[in-house]
Amino acid sequence: MKINISKVWCEKMARRETCAEIGAGLLAIDPVIDNEYVTKTSGDDTRFVLQRFIELGRRDMNLSVEQLAERADIAISELISIETDIHHLPEPRTLYQLAQVFSVSQGKLMELSGLTKPKDVNYLEEAVRYAARSESIERLNSEEQAALDGLISVLSKK
Amino acid sequence: MSKKENLDISEVYLLDNHAGTVVEAELWDAITEKNLADWEADWIPHLFELLKSLKQKGVERRLWPQSRHWHWSDKVKAIEGKLSNQCFSIVCDGNTQALMITDLMRRAQLDAQKNSHLVYMDYLEVAPWNRGELIGRSPKYSGAGSILIRAAIELSKQEGFRGRIGLHSLPQSNDFYANKVGMTDLGSDENYQNLRYFEMTPEQADEFVMKGEDL
Repeated sequence: MKINISKVWCEKMARRETCAEIGAGLLAIDPVIDNEYVTKTSGDDTRFVLQRFIELGRRDMNLSVEQLAERADIAISELISIETDIHHLPEPRTLYQLAQVFSVSQGKLMELSGLTKPKDVNYLEEAVRYAARSESIERLNSEEQAALDGLISVLSKK
Repeated sequence: MSKKENLDISEVYLLDNHAGTVVEAELWDAITEKNLADWEADWIPHLFELLKSLKQKGVERRLWPQSRHWHWSDKVKAIEGKLSNQCFSIVCDGNTQALMITDLMRRAQLDAQKNSHLVYMDYLEVAPWNRGELIGRSPKYSGAGSILIRAAIELSKQEGFRGRIGLHSLPQSNDFYANKVGMTDLGSDENYQNLRYFEMTPEQADEFVMKGEDL
């Protein structure tokens, strides 16, 4: 079958696709890097950013851990581990669900967690800086709100 | 291999990320001996180079890409002669850049189109040098994924399925299918190694095509 696809269409879609991972099918599963590998290859800084982002985002939405877990359709224990255990490695599905709730890039959350290798390390430094500006208290103060807004901005970039 | 007597070739284009230019490519409506030779002579050695690099870095064997076990020759042989499967390949710069096998016998799961026929994208893989995450730098060529999805949509329309397509996504690709392609995420499929199942309605198919039209 012949298919008529214009050059303009191909170029525009290719630019949208540029760094996306493409694959489908039962045998197309790539291995998920486990804790041991993460310990060797990535620092705790990025997981600290993930911890802070999830916690700040949850509080900004006025959600308890239980409520966020329900909204994201993930296990409460998994969410607690993400927020409190810097060595915890989340499931890819969990990060996908959280990315949907917070409207940020799943790929960036996977990079922060250490599940995948960052393609662009520049944003990590920026994200760490935002995360470091906040401390955990009951309600978001203006500095925390600014830190969260900054994190969302950085993590939303595709 | 596809035993088609007449191979139809459509003109398409890929983005060469290294040169920053758009280059001519071909969409074939088959997986031929040439494609399988490319897979064996170029894709596999490329993967092995990657494996050597992982070994040198001390990454455990169980963490190496499972794609080293993929065997496109076997996949294609298994569907040889079947009218219910349609293969596609993309060739650029003399080499195969992506491969896809579709299945026309599957039915839709989404409530709005439940049990309607669709084109199921059984296997889709791009060449290892086009997988940025695998090689840790920019892919050589981009665009093959979108072109193959467009091919599946056009096949679906030709078969009277109105553009309905479905697939089980690679975990790292969920974001692409949900947000860039615009398919509906039906969640993890416990009968399919918990891969997420995505489906596209005729309306979503039209929207996907339109995304590339309004430059």
